Amino acid sequence: MKQAWFIIKKDLMIEFRKKEALMSMLFFGFLVLVILNIATGIGSKVASSVSGGILWLAIIFSAVLGLDRIFAHENENRCIDGLLLSPIEPESIFLAKMAVNLIFMIIAEVILIPLFFILYNNEISGRLPMLIVIVMLLNLGFSSVGTLVSAMSSGIKKNDMMLPILLFPVLIPLIAATVKSTTELLGGAGVAKYSQWLYLTGAFDLIFFGSSYLLFEHVIKEG
Amino acid sequence: MRKLIIISAGLFLAAIYLVFFYAPVESVMGIVQKIFYFHLPLAFTAFFSYLVAFVCGLLYLVKKESKWDIYSAGSVEIGVVLTTLVLITGSLWARPIWNTWWTWDPRLTTSLILWLIYAAYLILRMSIEQESKRATFCAVMAIIGFVDVPIVFMSARLWRSIHPVVVKSNSIAMEPSMKLALLLAMFAFFSLWFALFRIRTSGGFLLEKIKHLENRIMEK
Repeated sequence: MKQAWFIIKKDLMIEFRKKEALMSMLFFGFLVLVILNIATGIGSKVASSVSGGILWLAIIFSAVLGLDRIFAHENENRCIDGLLLSPIEPESIFLAKMAVNLIFMIIAEVILIPLFFILYNNEISGRLPMLIVIVMLLNLGFSSVGTLVSAMSSGIKKNDMMLPILLFPVLIPLIAATVKSTTELLGGAGVAKYSQWLYLTGAFDLIFFGSSYLLFEHVIKEG
Repeated sequence: MRKLIIISAGLFLAAIYLVFFYAPVESVMGIVQKIFYFHLPLAFTAFFSYLVAFVCGLLYLVKKESKWDIYSAGSVEIGVVLTTLVLITGSLWARPIWNTWWTWDPRLTTSLILWLIYAAYLILRMSIEQESKRATFCAVMAIIGFVDVPIVFMSARLWRSIHPVVVKSNSIAMEPSMKLALLLAMFAFFSLWFALFRIRTSGGFLLEKIKHLENRIMEK
């Protein structure tokens, strides 16, 4: 755990000095929100049945940008070899990178979600705790499988598009479940109506945290 | 290999005979129902391919022997072709019966997402040159893709289902003569699967042999 903490501190320090990942994440997320608002008809109040989809599309697109960066600076000057040579367990590298990605996502969401409610005239009075649960369930699943796939895609020089191509098909059930529960929540439904979707998201998180944790060692040694 | 191909061809001729001349025409759906005898074996063999890819992927990560990578890649290639055919035959059947080419039913959605995951696997395979890296990444992708299947199916089922359930765990809701035709079609498709698998993997092994020989020439 202590080893992981060192990597988290290092990555966050780099990020807070360069601010490249977070800046592009926030800007792109905001851009998607604006474009989708224009695409669905400017100014009009968007029906709650589609607003969940819009919110998550913006967040996931921006999160992929951040995910792409978490291994990028390890590849500069082959820093990853240094990490692997040091007495740090590959599992600690996984946990650290996943935590860094989680932190990036949460920072982006803290800014993007209020912007969404402003731009789309939506109300969430009193339902905020449940929204946080949904957001965190998505973040966990996205970060665990995302860290694994990001480690793979950063090891491929030929194709810059590999990350979304590999990640999105695997993420479809997670996105579907999150959009469905958010839509129900924004529509004013009780927890009982979408609890099944939350369980499904939880199952996705558990399965993919476990398998990514176990598979990461193989990937990072090849990358 | 030639034997397998001949056996598959024979089985297919017999299956086609049974499907079109022996099994009765279904009373409600009519002739369209015949596509089912090919649709179901296609779906079974497609799923079987992904299972093989998953197991071979795991074995590759444990043993790091290139033959498991060749097996895994061969079965994914076959699986993607079979899944494409499943989607096409399903659409052809759905148009007259459900009056739509496509609907977001659990089985359809699951097949489509499977197709996306393993098509991504093939793109991944094309974009890596270095062998051990390609094998490892592909094995990882085959594993996480397969692990995703139950969740994909569950999430799709939470919507709704209009897909007919013909084969249940305890019985098959069909005429005996239809069952026989389906059984033979199933055998035909599985033997075709093994024939294709042998052809694809022997290509992989040949390629490996050529690289090996090239290396030896270079050393001299």
